[in-house]
Amino acid sequence: MNRLLQRLAREQSDTLLLLLAALAVLAPHTGHLPWWISLTIAATLGWRALITARGWRMPPIWLLLPVAIGAMAGVHAEFHTWVGRDTGVAMLTLLLGFKMLEMRARRDVMVVLFLCYFVLLSNFFYSQSMLMALHTVLALALLLTAQLSFQYGAYQPPLLQRLKQVLRLLAAGMPMALLLFVAFPRIHGPLWGLPGDAFAGSSGLAASMSPGSISQLARSDALAFRVRFQGAHPAPAQLYWRSIVLGDYDGQSWTRVTPRRGLQRPDIDIATRGEPLAYELTMEVQHNRFLPALELSGPQLQLNGYLVRDTDEMEFVTTITPDERLRYSTKAWLDYRLQTVASGGTLQGWLALPEGYNPRTLALAARLSAAAASTPQRVERLLQFLRTGGYTYTLEPPLLGRHAVDEFLFDSKAGFCEHFAGAFVFALRAMGVPARVVTGYQGGELNPVDGVLSVRQSDAHAWAEYWQAGWGWRRVDPTAAVAPQRLQPQADSRASSNANTPLLQALSSEAASLFGAVRFRLAAINNHWQQWVLDYSPERQQALLDSARQRVPAPATVWPIAAGALGLAVLLCGLAWLQRQRRRDPLQQLYTRFCRLQARHGFVRAPHEGPQDYAQRLRARPASAAQQAAMQEFLMLYSRLRYSADGPESRTASLAMLRKLLLLCR
Amino acid sequence: MTALLQQISRAVRARWLYHLGGAASRSMTLSMRRIYIVPTRAGLQCTLLLLVMLLGSLNYNLALGYALTFLLGACVLADMVATARNLAGLQLAPMQTPPVFAGETASFRIELTAARARQHYAIWLGFQADDAPMQHCDVGTPADGAAPAGTLPGSAAMQGSSADHTGVLLHAATGTRGWQQAGRIRLVTRFPLGLFRAWSYWQPALQVLVYPAPEPAAPPLPGGASGANHGHSQTGSEHYTGVRAYRPGDSPRHLAWRQIARHADTPGLPLLAKQFEGGNASQLAFDLAALPPHLTLELKLSRLCAWVLAAESAALPYSLRLDELHLPAAHGPAQQAACLQALALYGRDSGTALERSA
Repeated sequence: MNRLLQRLAREQSDTLLLLLAALAVLAPHTGHLPWWISLTIAATLGWRALITARGWRMPPIWLLLPVAIGAMAGVHAEFHTWVGRDTGVAMLTLLLGFKMLEMRARRDVMVVLFLCYFVLLSNFFYSQSMLMALHTVLALALLLTAQLSFQYGAYQPPLLQRLKQVLRLLAAGMPMALLLFVAFPRIHGPLWGLPGDAFAGSSGLAASMSPGSISQLARSDALAFRVRFQGAHPAPAQLYWRSIVLGDYDGQSWTRVTPRRGLQRPDIDIATRGEPLAYELTMEVQHNRFLPALELSGPQLQLNGYLVRDTDEMEFVTTITPDERLRYSTKAWLDYRLQTVASGGTLQGWLALPEGYNPRTLALAARLSAAAASTPQRVERLLQFLRTGGYTYTLEPPLLGRHAVDEFLFDSKAGFCEHFAGAFVFALRAMGVPARVVTGYQGGELNPVDGVLSVRQSDAHAWAEYWQAGWGWRRVDPTAAVAPQRLQPQADSRASSNANTPLLQALSSEAASLFGAVRFRLAAINNHWQQWVLDYSPERQQALLDSARQRVPAPATVWPIAAGALGLAVLLCGLAWLQRQRRRDPLQQLYTRFCRLQARHGFVRAPHEGPQDYAQRLRARPASAAQQAAMQEFLMLYSRLRYSADGPESRTASLAMLRKLLLLCR
Repeated sequence: MTALLQQISRAVRARWLYHLGGAASRSMTLSMRRIYIVPTRAGLQCTLLLLVMLLGSLNYNLALGYALTFLLGACVLADMVATARNLAGLQLAPMQTPPVFAGETASFRIELTAARARQHYAIWLGFQADDAPMQHCDVGTPADGAAPAGTLPGSAAMQGSSADHTGVLLHAATGTRGWQQAGRIRLVTRFPLGLFRAWSYWQPALQVLVYPAPEPAAPPLPGGASGANHGHSQTGSEHYTGVRAYRPGDSPRHLAWRQIARHADTPGLPLLAKQFEGGNASQLAFDLAALPPHLTLELKLSRLCAWVLAAESAALPYSLRLDELHLPAAHGPAQQAACLQALALYGRDSGTALERSA
């Protein structure tokens, strides 16, 4: 590379270096840009490289302008808008490509470089991983090297040396950049309304549930949230992350019960037992106003920058849709009683069923409730029915028709958690038991390296809650009755499905454990990256600064001390300087004064010049004969005092003589 | 009114901001205190870019966007320091400048040395008076450095520059004869990233001796003071007396080609020149007072200058009398230099300048 660049002329090699840097900047964008844009940019860069290497002529503006306008029109046709993040990035990258073909003067080089810096930033819209950070640093170093290369005069050192110079610049800037990153005031939220596609590609639980909605989500391996517990971890079977409670059924989908206006909120009584579990939850960007919380989390949930409401169904809802990662801490009680006392009026809503749906299920419910009188017995009967009915748990449930619950319970007998939970609640209500569907997440993967629990979208789950007098709302998971492995993370369906023979199983488990160790370690590093770099929020900043402030005494006491120390240091330095001045050899002092005097006449003593050479040179100084004689005498006496061993008594006399001579020199 | 204000502002800037007008110096090391720095147009654009990048990071809450913006911003600040340091520590020294004839371009030579064994790249130099034509050089770079990457036009680095010091020729037009002081030199650099422009001023103790311009169509050489009366031609009376070693300044016409050819196979033998011994009659005596009185002084000096050159190229001894100053007959470079200097400084306050140049 270096040798190749050296063979080319300076301007050529500089331009090729700039092209290389631009290529590094643009490369990550090819992952999401439409193919024709990537192709166009590659063509412009390649054309420019050929122009540079072969000495071709630059394309004229009448050729370039229509092509550029056509490309912009193509962007509009692709994205159907002129604004927005993706449109902007596409335009910017195309602009960079076309500017390359229009780069004639030094000024254009700077414009291209600045465009490159901005395109480099826009990479972060799509990924902020550690790999991307590394790539950005490398691309930045390349860009700076290209910028540096254009600034040399006659001599340009080899590429490696230029790269070193840039690394020195980066190293010099790094502490300041770090300080700014930590201390620059961060703010919440966007400065202006973001375009709709600002945070595309992330979804979470919806506020309604129809067959297939959660199984769709369960295919996604995306991270939903991370949890760090303060103390011990609960058992996996206890990790029910409550998000949305659904109570209205229209025969097709379950939706939230809309709170009726004007109705006084009933008092919700909660009784808890045992020590609460404190935890901190970091939720990925999900465009979801519902915050998942471990069942059953306390009513206080603080989230900076947002107003959080808790509902009668123990959901936590933000008033505005968040566009960022959220972090909140709260406490949960695993042993709880919710709303042990409830009036008939409030319970009536949890018994409603749509007319004219699922007659077979209604008949089943009548049969079961005739056999069991109490609520727990009825629930147990229903669970028994599911357990023994030959039901299977599958991610690919068959499509269902009008009587969805009937068809699931009696015909297809295969479904995902939303089928089980929905059918279960329907049947309970048909038996006269107040019941509702709860959606959220179940379980999670514990990272043994850093103790962080990761919950993915594939952990999305739906379960049921029924009300029993004296007990309040009790959780029941019909899916667990059919597929107990759903609650055991070890029985990973992905790992066991393709391990058929015992040998293969043993091998794969060993490989899995090794692979798992690496995976967990990577995940732990990634989590730190997330928490400390990407999620460096105003709160985290405040906390960090507060802890720093606690380590050093409060500023009120520090400032006078610091000022006093500084003043003292200045005073000591001044005193030391005075001391040194005074202690300096009087002979040396006289000589210095003499030299200063001669310098005023234009004869500066060179550092290497001895008194005799100086005397020789001073003869040329225009001066009266008396002055000239005094100068020569002074220097002769000085060199004798300096370089021969005279006694101290003659020395004092000589010094007085020198002083007199110095006066005569003036 | 505005012109006056501009003049005042320029004077104030020169006096208080740049501390100009100080004494000329033989040698100076640029310290940070003497270096001024402002962002270039590209630097201002870069500031705007950083602002936009910061706004983008704020709006989209891009943590790595902040990091990139701050890192780039810190690099820009580091570039500012590096630009100033690219000038700081440069040691400047004036060198001897060969005399020129009035109206010719003087080539002032100055030498730049890296005081702290550092490399200084792309230093642009020029006289403050003429803005546009500037030359650039590198200091402290490898001496054979111009070879690998090719040389850009306009490079001022001269032959004989070595790794630690670089000689630069700065050209300036000359006016009238006499000592001409070199103007104030401005040193500019934008290295390394071109976002800042650092500059400094230096008034070198550097002067050039400007000879009178030789009269273009000068009359033929006069005869000697006595020779003109005897009617001898200028060259005819010279007698060939032998050969001697060629001395610089001998006319090429007097090279003893036959003898040179004969000894061509003897290594180390210098060039040989014919030696003539002319009679008194051929001695040229140039006298200012002898010139026609209707000529102006400058024209007289110009004519004498032209004659000195003509006599020198003819390798004839000549003497020069300017009022009480008399230079006895001789020829050769030393005689020519002495005569031309005398002509250049005739009637000028020459004494101190002469001594200063010595």
